[in-house]
Amino acid sequence: MTKTKLIISYIILIIISLFFITPFYVTLITSFKSLNEVSIATMWNFPKHFSLEGFIGAYKKLAPNMKNSFYLTIPATIISAVLGSINGFALSKLKFKYSNLIFALILFGMFIPYQSVLFPLIRFFQKIGLYGTIHALIIIHVIYGIPITTLMFKNYYEEIPDELIEAASIDGANLYDVYTKVLLPISIPGFVVVAIWQFTNIWNEFLFAVTVTNNPAKQPITVALVNLAGSQVVEWNIQMAGALIAALPTLIVYIALGKYFIRGLLAGSVKG
Amino acid sequence: MAQVVLENIDKIYPNGFHAVKNASFTIEDKEFCVLLGPSGCGKTTTLRMIAGLEEISKGTLKIDGKVVNDVEPKDRDIAFVFQNYALYPHMTVYDNMAFGLKLRKFPKEEIDQRVKNAAKILDIAHLLDRKPKQLSGGQRQRVAVGRAIVRDPKVFLFDEPLSNLDAKLRVQMRSELKKLHHRLDATIVYVTHDQVEAMTMADKIVIMKDGVIQQIGSPYDVYFKPKNKFVAGFIGTPPMNFLEAKVVKGDGGLWISAEDLKVKIPKEFEEKLESYIDKDIIFGIRPENIHDKSIYKGEHTNDVVKGKVDVAEPLGSETLLHVTLGGQYLVAKVDPTTTAREGTEVELILEMETMHVFDKETELAVI
Amino acid sequence: MSVQKNKSRMGFIIILPSLILIGIFVYYFIFWTIRTSFSNWNSFSSLLRGVYKYVGFRNYERIFMDPRFQTDLWNTLFFTLFFILGSVGLGLFLANLIDKGIKGSRFFQNLFLFPMAISFVVTGTVWSWIFAPGNFPNDPQGLNLLFKKLGLEKLQWMWYTSSESIGHFNLALIAVIIAAVWQMSGYIMAMYLAGLKAIPEEILEAARVDGANERYIFWKIKMPLLKPITLSAMIVLGHVSLKIFDLIYAMTGSGPNNVTDVPAIYMFELTFRSNKYAMGSAISVIMLLMVAVIIIPYLYSSLRRGVSS
Repeated sequence: MTKTKLIISYIILIIISLFFITPFYVTLITSFKSLNEVSIATMWNFPKHFSLEGFIGAYKKLAPNMKNSFYLTIPATIISAVLGSINGFALSKLKFKYSNLIFALILFGMFIPYQSVLFPLIRFFQKIGLYGTIHALIIIHVIYGIPITTLMFKNYYEEIPDELIEAASIDGANLYDVYTKVLLPISIPGFVVVAIWQFTNIWNEFLFAVTVTNNPAKQPITVALVNLAGSQVVEWNIQMAGALIAALPTLIVYIALGKYFIRGLLAGSVKG
Repeated sequence: MAQVVLENIDKIYPNGFHAVKNASFTIEDKEFCVLLGPSGCGKTTTLRMIAGLEEISKGTLKIDGKVVNDVEPKDRDIAFVFQNYALYPHMTVYDNMAFGLKLRKFPKEEIDQRVKNAAKILDIAHLLDRKPKQLSGGQRQRVAVGRAIVRDPKVFLFDEPLSNLDAKLRVQMRSELKKLHHRLDATIVYVTHDQVEAMTMADKIVIMKDGVIQQIGSPYDVYFKPKNKFVAGFIGTPPMNFLEAKVVKGDGGLWISAEDLKVKIPKEFEEKLESYIDKDIIFGIRPENIHDKSIYKGEHTNDVVKGKVDVAEPLGSETLLHVTLGGQYLVAKVDPTTTAREGTEVELILEMETMHVFDKETELAVI
Repeated sequence: MSVQKNKSRMGFIIILPSLILIGIFVYYFIFWTIRTSFSNWNSFSSLLRGVYKYVGFRNYERIFMDPRFQTDLWNTLFFTLFFILGSVGLGLFLANLIDKGIKGSRFFQNLFLFPMAISFVVTGTVWSWIFAPGNFPNDPQGLNLLFKKLGLEKLQWMWYTSSESIGHFNLALIAVIIAAVWQMSGYIMAMYLAGLKAIPEEILEAARVDGANERYIFWKIKMPLLKPITLSAMIVLGHVSLKIFDLIYAMTGSGPNNVTDVPAIYMFELTFRSNKYAMGSAISVIMLLMVAVIIIPYLYSSLRRGVSS
């Protein structure tokens, strides 16, 4: 590549980077402003005085919902990853009749607009008395997470040679041994990818959260954040600090484990 | 006693593919039996059926006199060495070898003793703490064998264990496996597509093609007494020459006759060829049984053919001459002192006592 | 019983609980929604009574006659179209820039991908502030203010509050499309980067030796090889856009005269604000059908490929 071409590439990349950074910049500077400094006229300016007012206000309002989100996301992530791993094992290493059809039937659940199950779903949880609880959301995310976690683990396990399983079965391992002593120990990268994917998705999810939980005290952080904006006077520093707080856990995961996050993204598109 | 008996075994896959057809043979106790054939011939499927990794569609499999068709692989008392070794990547060499014993709840001391003993035999005692990733191909191979040895099984099953090694290492491992066989006094079933491996290691060779057993015999038998054209062509490098010819009568006996080819059939074969007089047959002779007349020292009569050298390939210890003979084609492995060169005419002597004749229709050996 | 049969029976037993759960929560519930969409459950009391009354396609007729839903369909069409074009275009462009192995490519890659880690709700909140027009030209806000500072007053605009349209294309959607492209194009870039990495260097070298220039290599060699990725990207983006809800809900809502309304928003309001469950269900069924039309053939063909390989 010639030098001019290289320089042009960089200029283009930097311009596009500005586009990508802009929302982040606005969020960051606004969240560090005090309420009297937040004004429309200075919204692009750097804060004159750094203030934690926004964060304190946002934390007060969102802390319980943040806790809800953790209570929801962590168990749902763990359970759906384990389920996906077991399913992936069955579908990749214990081939059975119609396993492809069953896989397709399960996989379809990943693409449906959840609106098409929402009404009966809510009626169902009302009937069993779980409506409006975090438990209901955990169940929902575990079940609707089955397709994607199964897909990811199936693809992961298909890379592992069948001979490894056969060697174990000749060595005297039953299916339980094969899974726990051979497959599971080499599944750690798979679990990291799936867990990051599920954590991010469940944390960020909104539709189920807003329709299944009606009590503000029980709502996950995404719903609380939207409700924050819905109040009469929008305190933008609090709003932006809140957005930042809501994004923080997934952002930290992304920064710390970006490699696995990308792998999850790519695994999510069925077969590339 | 660990005798393996296959009786009329068939393998038909759900998609209808008939991988093994009516296979029957016996592997005697302490025998080194090689299943040999081109890829897709059903040899690996046969081995996997013996192991229990593949279901037997029809027929009976007996190990030690007991029918084991429906016995789980782990209860058949066999060990399997995989082509890609299939070592557990998360375990050390020691744990790889100990895994089967641990699952079988052997006492700790015995596991330790067996693993260390096997490691010593295979010269991998210094690698016991390593993970498979840190090993070379040859070392992984040894660990895979070690994992089999520690179990002290009735039967060892090897699936092309040397095919992932480079040529030099392959030769070395070949002789080591042979030594190991004597040392362990074990029954071994060994699958390969490499005829050299088969010839050098086997007590008994089972040659397969398209799911059908072609011949069962000692290395000597399959080389000198091939039962059909396929076996004759498969064993030996370069392969046996096949020439279309006729058996004709005249001039004091029977002759093989084709364009540019007229050689006398030795007396001892005449009776068997009586019924083929004036019929098309396939005449076979190995390249090593053809010599350059100008430098041949032995006696000979009525066994000379003349052809044109297409290509001469000097290999050092011998020279391969590719010769055209009246539209047909012949390879001769001759002494390197030959003066024959590309484009020249050459007179070749065929050692007729080593000749083969195959029925043109059935391709079965007549001689 | 034989060993293999035992193994495959275990496989089925292991998958069975998941299959049952999906059977109930996906297929049975979809059936339930379809059933509801043919009922008269369009008020809370009718639902409470619990008597199912079949009304045929009446809810669908009403929905399709509804100008708001017609607007929604147009909005979905144009949103999908420009969202896919924008994301695939930008994603492919970025992938090619980065794939050339320039310094800091890792940094740029991570930067362009980070929106994928954040929820639509968060980004919608932020974008709604950026695109808020304010009282321009005198008292502009957000982007308009930035334009004023940069002396680009001409670019000031109503953004998502605009009621302008070209044909059926409501220009207010542009703000939403920009936000959505911002969020998803990094993902498409990652897909293309993976695809570009999978192209053997030898093929490109062979083409260069044959005298092909970079432009030719891009259009005649890379693009055809990246075709399956383009298809996957379009499917992924397409089904996201047909279902889009959070981003619009957090960013603009329906907007004035429903300029940024989509079926998911309307369905949400009908079901959860107006208790018109049957009509809401009818919209859900229509959304499901739209998604199914693109997903089922995709699933069929990619599983086919999976089986044969």
